[in-house]
Amino acid sequence: MKTKGGYFHRILDVDLTTGKAMARPFDDEFALRYVGGRGFGARSVADNLAAHGGRVNPLGPENILVVAPGPLTGTYLPAAGKCSFITMSPATGIYADSSMGGSFCVELRQAGYDALVLRGAAPKLSYLWIDEERVQVVPCPELAGKRCLEAEGAIKEAVGDAAVKVISIGPAGENRVLIACITGDWGRQSGRTGTGAVMGSKNLKAIVVRGGKDLPVADVPKMREIGDRGYATLRAHPLFPLWQEQGLMSVIDYANSMGFLPTRNFRDGHFDEAERMDGFVMKSRYKIGDGACFGCPMCCSNICLVREGKYAGTVVEGPEYETAAMLGPDVGVSDFAAILRSNQLCDELGIDTISAGSLIAAVIEGYETGLLSLDDVDGRPLRWGDADAVHELIAKIARREGIGNTLADGSPGVIKRFPQLKPLLLQVKGLEQSAYDCRCAISMALAYGTSDIGAHHARAWTIAKELEMGRDWSLEKKADLVIYHQTIRPLFDMLGVCRLPWIELGFDERYYAEMFEAVTGVPTKLDDLLARSRAIYDLTRRIAVSHGVSRKDDYPPDRTFDHPVETGPLAGHVLSRADYDRILDIYYAKRGWSPDGIPPAE
Amino acid sequence: MPRRLAVVPERCSGCRTCEVVCSMARFGVDNPKKSCVRVVTLYPHPVIRMPVVCRQCGEPKCADGCPTNAISRPNGVVKIDPELCVACLKCVDNCPFGAMMAHEDVETPFNCNLCGGQPQCARVCPKQAILFVPTRILGQDHRLATVLNYAHMKEVEFVEEGEKKRLRYAEVERSRDEN
Repeated sequence: MKTKGGYFHRILDVDLTTGKAMARPFDDEFALRYVGGRGFGARSVADNLAAHGGRVNPLGPENILVVAPGPLTGTYLPAAGKCSFITMSPATGIYADSSMGGSFCVELRQAGYDALVLRGAAPKLSYLWIDEERVQVVPCPELAGKRCLEAEGAIKEAVGDAAVKVISIGPAGENRVLIACITGDWGRQSGRTGTGAVMGSKNLKAIVVRGGKDLPVADVPKMREIGDRGYATLRAHPLFPLWQEQGLMSVIDYANSMGFLPTRNFRDGHFDEAERMDGFVMKSRYKIGDGACFGCPMCCSNICLVREGKYAGTVVEGPEYETAAMLGPDVGVSDFAAILRSNQLCDELGIDTISAGSLIAAVIEGYETGLLSLDDVDGRPLRWGDADAVHELIAKIARREGIGNTLADGSPGVIKRFPQLKPLLLQVKGLEQSAYDCRCAISMALAYGTSDIGAHHARAWTIAKELEMGRDWSLEKKADLVIYHQTIRPLFDMLGVCRLPWIELGFDERYYAEMFEAVTGVPTKLDDLLARSRAIYDLTRRIAVSHGVSRKDDYPPDRTFDHPVETGPLAGHVLSRADYDRILDIYYAKRGWSPDGIPPAE
Repeated sequence: MPRRLAVVPERCSGCRTCEVVCSMARFGVDNPKKSCVRVVTLYPHPVIRMPVVCRQCGEPKCADGCPTNAISRPNGVVKIDPELCVACLKCVDNCPFGAMMAHEDVETPFNCNLCGGQPQCARVCPKQAILFVPTRILGQDHRLATVLNYAHMKEVEFVEEGEKKRLRYAEVERSRDEN
């Protein structure tokens, strides 16, 4: 099939060691088979592994970092403003991707590229300046140690254009903190799996892009018609106003009332002081404006300001649910202003808020239960709810100081130094679990266990559906739900759009096939796209398997089985290993993988 | 009834949907850089997201100094005559609002033409940050703000059941002031 739009058919390949850049062409067969975004990234990462005998050091120059929007990025479809960062993760050692919203992705496409592949390592700290055809690696020793926002501002000034789009890493990325993120557009993150450390290992402080090309769209009138319908549907949704008002912060109240809000390192699922830090508190006392990713009417980003008190002057784009939960209840903090400060510190120093919250919670619990000595925690006693200690730990992680140096290596690093903390670390495959307690929903446990990047909710978020509709469903049906999520949600990352309109406001998935057809001019059914997504899932699984991953690594954190929820509506809930083993068998069989979780060869 | 585009920056989320629909309506392409409306974002000090669009000035400054007199204002819409325009881009410099646009693919500079009376940006804005309103109601928001600010500054004191009380309008004033 020949495409009439959707692609520039050019991947920008930059060797940072030599500073050489080259636009590599690709054909329609590649485009349609891998679609874009995560699809392009997974293929590139697999090819790069093959070229290096199957192994790369994630922090070595031989690893690649792929930055990939998708064919729908920047089109007239609600929330079509995302791109994926794909690499071999230094945190988990296996395939990883993380996505970021905002405008950077659209600008990269407008520069005429479908994706960017970074390889090698710059001789000294530099930023990459992509001005359509003109691509340069610019040394920037003066930006060493700068926080993300400072760096973004300084670069805009240096290139003399405030409208360029910038993504950058903070000190954490420079220090190869394995939970380092990449920040863009003043406050959007590619948060998980340590993509910021990979950028740091390449001595790449930032990427700056400017472009003005028409996005390739086969049928603009058709796109307008689909988009008009799509935006109208969202606007008419009864929850739309709440989304604009609170964004993902509305989930705090929901999670707490349902009983799965992570509290004190997931010991509990209910936080007594949740009403001090929920979306209503944010709205009435801290929110000063809305922020949105490109083309998104839901504007789920809440720009918050602390006006008075100890944390006065804190301004941050956020928090969203994960951040507020992991740096709030999960470490016992209920002061919303303190949570905002934690959020700001993580964003500006360049650390993933989920992993940071999770690791800090484990250390607090470790100290509190006597598994860690006062010496282990640098002589400062740690207590639940001590916001100052949390802030100090965040800064120490970024600087790799004291215990921060251990936490900077993520769960695997903590286990290595303090093996006794293993049961307290909520992680799968080395990636810390997101802010949904899965003891109440086996499908969510399966989602964490089998997610191809580790315990992240983005691949499959089934907890609400199971609790609201499917408590009595068979394990077969629950496994089907997980596989469906793991198929459609990565598809959004391939198309370069956000999943939230679909998962939160019931946006019909058929829109995406319809839009793909209008944009590429290639007749497409949703099932065609889902089949391609599924093939990518098998591909990323094969990469993991080639790195030793098998059934033994597909289990949720121990706490899921051996520590019942302490209080709240789900008090006493815990999952049984036997049930989990059964659902895992069913899951593998449905995917066509062996009982040990090995997919067939490509 | 003559109408104008009005912008309420406090409401803008910076999503740039206006830019997408404008480029489609004006040039039949998806290209935010060919939009007649541009969202400018400042962060974090101060936090501002603001769409900039042609105000269809009664005495268009962009026309001042146009060497070929290519700019006129028929029916209240500032328009460049492509036959006369020599694309010197002086108008782009002269517009005090930065609302005259240029793009290397487009022969002449371009500005908002109000989409023939149905501006698409105002139609799709998910936050109602761009409005298409009768000219006479422009400034209403600021009049309201002026009154509220005044009320806040005064801090009303009153006595209720023998007890002295104070009434402040802090909540309302705050959102205007700090956005």
